[in-house]
Amino acid sequence: MSLLKLNDISKLYHQGEIELHALTDINLQFEKAEFTALVGPSGSGKTTLLNLIGGLDSPTTGKILLNDTNLSELKEQALSQFRLFQIGFIFQAYNLVPVLSALENVELVMVLQNRPVSERRNRAEHYLNLVGLKELMHRRPSALSGGQQQRVAVARALAANPKLVLADEPTANLDSENATALLDIMHNLAKEEETTFIFSTHDVRVMERAERIITLEDGRIKSDHKA
Amino acid sequence: MSNAKQTTLPLSTFIMLAWRNLWRHRRRTLITLFSIALGFGLAVFSIGLQDSGHNSMVKNAINMGDGHITLQHKDYLASPANYRYIANGKKILKTLSEQNIQGKIVPRIALQVLASTANNSVGVRLQGLSPASDPFRALLEKNITKGHWMTDTETRGLVIGEGMAKKLKVKIGSKIIIIAGKKGGDSESHLGRVRGIFESGIAELDGYLIISGLEFSRKFLVAEGADKTLEPLTRIAIFLDNEEFIEPTKAIITPLIKTDTDIVVLDWQQMMPQLVQYIIVDDVSAYIMQVFILLVILFGIINTVLMSILERTREFGLLRALGLKRQYLMLLIFIETLLLSLMAVAFGWAVGGSIHWYVAVNGIDFSGLIPEGTTFAGTFMDPVIYSELSLERVIQLTTIVFLTTLASGIYPAIKASRIQPIEALKT
Repeated sequence: MSLLKLNDISKLYHQGEIELHALTDINLQFEKAEFTALVGPSGSGKTTLLNLIGGLDSPTTGKILLNDTNLSELKEQALSQFRLFQIGFIFQAYNLVPVLSALENVELVMVLQNRPVSERRNRAEHYLNLVGLKELMHRRPSALSGGQQQRVAVARALAANPKLVLADEPTANLDSENATALLDIMHNLAKEEETTFIFSTHDVRVMERAERIITLEDGRIKSDHKA
Repeated sequence: MSNAKQTTLPLSTFIMLAWRNLWRHRRRTLITLFSIALGFGLAVFSIGLQDSGHNSMVKNAINMGDGHITLQHKDYLASPANYRYIANGKKILKTLSEQNIQGKIVPRIALQVLASTANNSVGVRLQGLSPASDPFRALLEKNITKGHWMTDTETRGLVIGEGMAKKLKVKIGSKIIIIAGKKGGDSESHLGRVRGIFESGIAELDGYLIISGLEFSRKFLVAEGADKTLEPLTRIAIFLDNEEFIEPTKAIITPLIKTDTDIVVLDWQQMMPQLVQYIIVDDVSAYIMQVFILLVILFGIINTVLMSILERTREFGLLRALGLKRQYLMLLIFIETLLLSLMAVAFGWAVGGSIHWYVAVNGIDFSGLIPEGTTFAGTFMDPVIYSELSLERVIQLTTIVFLTTLASGIYPAIKASRIQPIEALKT
C-alpha cells in the first residue's frame, strides 16, 4: 500500500480577475523510503505541490491521502497535529529558530510532541551525531555555516520520527561540497530510517542522487521516472 | 492517525523561548524598559508629591479646623449662627471623657463677630479655646512675634495675627471690642486686650482669626440665652491619634448623643466639603496626566512587540509549519509581554522608588516655587513636601502599569496567531 496518494489534485489561485492554474490533474503515489526529486523550472508548481502534501495549503480539487488520512478533511488544529507527527520539513533557508541552540532546535518538534525529556535529548543527540554536528550542538544557528544549519534541519526533521520529509530546495544556498554532503546524509537516513523524502530542486547534483525524478511544467507532470 | 494526540507544551519551554526572544534585541528591549521606567518614575514622583501635598493639607485642615471628628449643632454647617450652640457642653464632655477614645477631646467656641478698634472694624472669626491644651497652641505659639501666648487664667486676653493687627492697627496691650449679633437683632459686646501677635504665614489665620480663652467667648453664648453653668460650647473637636479611628469612634459617639437631637457628629470630610472637592478635582487632573503617561507606555510596548513580531514573521511561519498550534503562538507572545511587564514594573519601581525615596528623605521646598503661598481651600500645604506613597498607591500603580503593559501585548499576540505559515514562509 502506498504511503502517500495524490488523486486528481488541482490548485487554482485568483489574482484579482485572473485565474492561475498552479497545479492541474496531479496523480502521484509515493512508497515508503522513496527518495524523490521534484524538478522543473521556477513557477512550475514544485513548492505548491510540497505545500499541499505538507498540509500548509489545501488543493482546489482532488484528494491527498497520507496513510489513508485525507488531508482535505482535517480542520486547522488537526492539520497542525498532522504536520507535527507525520511530516518533517526542511526549507531553503532560515530553517532554525535563532534563539535556540542546534540541540534545542532539534528537540523543538519533540517538545511539541510532548516526548519525555530524556527521550528527546537522546534522539536529538543521536541525529546530530548522524549529521556530524554533535560537537557543535550547543551552538546557536548564527554560529553555524549554511551547510551546518541545513544539517541541523535534517536532524530536526528526522528526530521527530515522521513518515514523510518534505524539503523545498534544501541545497539552494549551499556550495557544491556542502550540498553533496547534505544529500548523502539525507539519502542514507532515508534508507536507514525508512523515511520517504520528497524534495524540490533545480540542482543537478540533487537530481543525480534521487531514485525517482518527477518533472513538473506549468503545473502538470511532464515526466515521472525512476533514476 | 494513531499518534496525532492533543499535545500540551511545557510552560518552561515557552518561558525560555519568550525570555530569549526578548533579549534578541538587547538595546531595543532596554530602551523600551527604560522609557517605561521613566514614565513610571514620573508617575510615582507626581503621585507621591500630590498625595503628600493632599495629606499635608488635610492634616493642617484638621489641626487648624475642628479635628477628625466634630460635634456641633445640627444646623450650624448649613447655616452658621452664634445661637446654634451645644447647650450642655459639660455633660457631653464628661460623657466623651468616659469613653476609650484614642485621641484628644477639645472644647471650642467659634463665633462670627465684628472686631472694632478706634481705627477700624473688621469681620472676624473668634476662636474660644483652652489656651494651655488646645492644638492651636502647638500650631501658633511658636509663631508669636510679639507678646506671648495666653494662659488659662486670662479672661480678656486675645491673640491675633499680624494681618489682623495691621487691619485693626493694634499692638500688644491694645483694646479690641468684640461685637456679636444676637438672635433677636441686638448685639453683645465685650472688651479684650491683645496679649500676643503671631505670624504663621497662612493668610487665613494671620488676617482673619482672633483667639481668646473659653470664658471670654462663652459670654456671647450666655448672651444668646445659654446657661453658663452648663459650660456651653459651639463645638467639640476630637483629634484622633490615627485617621483610621474615625469610623469606629463615630460609631461609639453617635449613639451616646442620640438623646440630644440638636447635636450631630461629623467627620472632617463632612465639615470641609470644599477641601474634599478640591482634592477630588486635583486627583482627577492627576489621573488624566497618568492616563497620558500610560498611553505613552502602552504604545511604546505595542511598537516594540509589533516590530519584534513583524521581524519574526518567517520564524512564526516555520513554527506553525512544524506543528505549533495557533493558540500556543499567541501564548508565546503573551508570555513575552508578561515578562516585559514584570521587568517594566521592576525597572519602574527601581527608578520611581529611587525618586520617591530621595524626595521622601530630602523633600522639595515649594516656598520658592510658589511665592504667593500654598493656601488652598481653607487650609495650606506645608512649604516643604516629602513624597508619600501609601501601600494602596503602591499596589494601584503596580497593578495599573502591569496590566497596561500586559494589555499592550494582546493585539500583537492576536496578530501573530493569525500568521498563515504558507504566507509567512514566503517572506
